[in-house]
Amino acid sequence: MKISRRDAIIAGGSAVVLVGAGVGAQFLLRKRHAPSPYDDLLDLLADRDADAQIGETVLAEVEEFDPKTMADDLRTRIAKRPLAAVLAEDVADGRVVEASGWVLPETLGLLCAMAAKAEA
Amino acid sequence: MALALASTPLRVVLLESGGMTFDAKTQALYEGSKVGAPYLTLEATRLRYLGGSSNHWGGWCRPMDQIDFEERTWMPYSGWPFGKKEIDRFFVRAHSLCEGGTLLYDRAEKFAAPLGNILPLGDGGVTTRWFQFSKTRTSVLPTHFGDRYADDLKRIGRLSVYLHANATRIGLDGTGAKVAEVDVATLTGRKFKVKPKAVVVATGAIETARLMLASNDVMPVGVGNGHDMVGRFFADHPTPRDTAFLVLFDGKLAPFYQGNQAVHGAIVRAGLFPSEAFRRDHAVMASSITIENKVELDDFGKAAVAATANALGVDAANHAAFSLGAGMEVTPDPDRRLTLDDERDALGMQRVKLHMRISDSDFGRFRQTLKELGRQLLATRAGMLKLNLRSRSEWLDVMDWGNHHMGTTRMHVDPRKGVVDANLKVHGISNLYVAGSSVFPTYGAANPTVNLLSLALRLADHLKGALR
Repeated sequence: MKISRRDAIIAGGSAVVLVGAGVGAQFLLRKRHAPSPYDDLLDLLADRDADAQIGETVLAEVEEFDPKTMADDLRTRIAKRPLAAVLAEDVADGRVVEASGWVLPETLGLLCAMAAKAEA
Repeated sequence: MALALASTPLRVVLLESGGMTFDAKTQALYEGSKVGAPYLTLEATRLRYLGGSSNHWGGWCRPMDQIDFEERTWMPYSGWPFGKKEIDRFFVRAHSLCEGGTLLYDRAEKFAAPLGNILPLGDGGVTTRWFQFSKTRTSVLPTHFGDRYADDLKRIGRLSVYLHANATRIGLDGTGAKVAEVDVATLTGRKFKVKPKAVVVATGAIETARLMLASNDVMPVGVGNGHDMVGRFFADHPTPRDTAFLVLFDGKLAPFYQGNQAVHGAIVRAGLFPSEAFRRDHAVMASSITIENKVELDDFGKAAVAATANALGVDAANHAAFSLGAGMEVTPDPDRRLTLDDERDALGMQRVKLHMRISDSDFGRFRQTLKELGRQLLATRAGMLKLNLRSRSEWLDVMDWGNHHMGTTRMHVDPRKGVVDANLKVHGISNLYVAGSSVFPTYGAANPTVNLLSLALRLADHLKGALR
């Protein structure tokens, strides 16, 4: 079948529009979080909403949790290193927390708790 | 004991309460009452016919650890009068009587390697170790000692076995320092006495204490109970279900963790145990952890797995979760005890009453071991763990027991702290001995059968010299 130049331009244009619409919808439908002073830390989490739910149960285990102080502590602890390396150090040193019974590396648990605080 | 004494000139009388099979009227002699923490019905937790409770034995075998014999400052009443080596001398024979196959235990890892990988747990406090099982014989698992060794008993010329013969009284002589006779009664009304040179009571930790306490005609407090120790320190292994969920990020679990596998002439299964070093450093009790059924995680669990795997940089798309079973050691407790009840059985013997207790700290210490396992799984990036139980009521809701009765005639060199001495002779009575796990001062987490058999063989060895 022979495709005319006009048909090719229309088809190409339609594809661009569809892809653009998809990207736009994804952007528009994505859960938006209000900016927080801790976004540099919260960006380390893959699913901020789910992690905030985990964080709620971590907070239930912690007596005092001041987000600002904790954020400073976490920034010092992470020191721009890959999160996996920080977590490996946590568990090697015995630093774990519980989230509704789940045993988590402490830094991950505290990041989840930060997400919960940011949602509040 | 009877088999072990077969080659000696000793004439042995074996008094068995039951017959060759289960009988409800005989079993009813085991009925008793209980107060305190929930526990099994006393007539359902043991069996009263030839072979005793081996007739409902699960066949699990494992030697106790060296630390189980040691005095530990953080564990009250701990310390055996001797170390592990003392019963190791008899372990091979005991294992053979259990028909456990090739003696492998922790060497099984080498032979099981073709079946799958050992869980990577790094250098932490929990390690993979191995159970062995009494063998499968013509679909009967495991060895039921009465059935299995009845013919061997018949072949011993100087042994007389009396079935349906219930020992109802250990009769001391006038000095109170020697057994002169044992009263025997049947449920059909026959009565007779045995006048022995020496007596070995091997009726299980509940009935042994009951018989000693109820034999109170000469010593009003009971036989061997001058220091009020008989019946105290009752123990069993709590076996709570679904204590935790173990998640493996790659979903791969070797079959020897979830069930028995035939390996190099033995039937084995891997379990997870706190190392001796971890127990010493963290003051935790012995325990065994078994990996049980596959479980489906709830949404929160799935989110926890996803968040953790992602943060660790691990793919958890194929993760699988398993429930964990457990066998726990309890702290020795003098107030977890047996006393005599006012009610009497069909033979006129006072029934027994169990005062059951279990300490929150025992749950807490086991939880510490589980948490260490969780930490290790994270450290090796192999998986993670969820602790399912926290409050006392949560633990008690899923509680079961191993039917491993121990401790009620505990061994100690000091008569004020134990009922029997290091040779299992009752303190203050020159010719009365106790065989069985009732003599265990502490309990470990190993299944007691093969270990109590080792001790019984050691006692037989002692009697060969003492009664010459």
